[in-house]
Amino acid sequence: MLNLKPEEDKALREILNNLAQESRSKMVLLIDKSGQLISRSESPAFSSDDVTFASLTAGNVAASEALSKLLGDKDLNHMFTETEEEGIYMILIDGKFILVSIFDKRVSNLGIVRVKIKKFYSKLVDTLRSIEERIKKESAVSADINPEDIDLDTLFE
Amino acid sequence: MPFINFATKEINCKIVYYGPGLSGKTTNIKWIYDHIRPENKGEMITLATETERTLFFDFVPIEVSNVKGFKVRFHLYTTPGQIIYRASRKLILKGVDGIVFVADSQEDRHDANLDTLDDMIENLKDYDINIEEIPLVFQYNKRDLPNVLPVEVLRRDLNRWNRPDFEAVAHKGIGVLETFKEISRQVLKKLKS
Repeated sequence: MLNLKPEEDKALREILNNLAQESRSKMVLLIDKSGQLISRSESPAFSSDDVTFASLTAGNVAASEALSKLLGDKDLNHMFTETEEEGIYMILIDGKFILVSIFDKRVSNLGIVRVKIKKFYSKLVDTLRSIEERIKKESAVSADINPEDIDLDTLFE
Repeated sequence: MPFINFATKEINCKIVYYGPGLSGKTTNIKWIYDHIRPENKGEMITLATETERTLFFDFVPIEVSNVKGFKVRFHLYTTPGQIIYRASRKLILKGVDGIVFVADSQEDRHDANLDTLDDMIENLKDYDINIEEIPLVFQYNKRDLPNVLPVEVLRRDLNRWNRPDFEAVAHKGIGVLETFKEISRQVLKKLKS
């Protein structure tokens, strides 16, 4: 089960914040391939729902990856989507995670984003691998949650 | 696979509504979305064709705050039911923590139920997920229609693992909440084990 300790969460955020700053991205997100948002840069300028963004990105990458396999390619490495004002660059990390940079095309460009991702790539991979190693060593994680603690009735009107 | 962040105190779980075309998967999560308090839900995303058939998936994030200081977030997904979308269905199952199988109770749709269940079992195998172990709930939908099969038949043919099951009329909200509560309970219980 994927989980983050506070110090790991901090380390990931730091990498994503530095990357966002240096690449002049509006926002940098780290997502797992099932659509869970793992971490993100602190980006007050980004107003969209990041959880929804993460699920759509994972769907997008999964579909493109399947397309690439249909065409006989082994793996999809990265993809780029452009809107009128923004660029969305997605790159696979270790085949398990997706790193996304959202940038304003008037402020940054694909070249800068790719160069800066290259700079932080191995640090990010190392951090993620050490988290996975730690999880492997742990026998079980208890979030100390009882299903009975959750009153789902209160969610509904 | 659930994702727990001990820094932000968040738990994220993925629940997928699976079933044949037009069995009411989207209707289930749309009903949940329409009746949940605004502060507990994010944006609903529907990737559908012009005729409102699900093309890729629907998505609804639901948040439950202050559970022992944790925020629990359920991500509800539906799969496209039509046979041609087999590849897309498989993609959506990736990382699934719990499944609701929405069956169409109508007699003439029973073959579709069986085919879709086989398709689900195959897809789970490909992800190395054991159907005996994953949280799973069956819902027999459209109980208000005249040509429905008895629940015993549906149960015998589909619910081979004796999991909790519910009768439903999803467009009226009957059985929808019960189904969602049961799958949430199972997913959270698994988190502790």
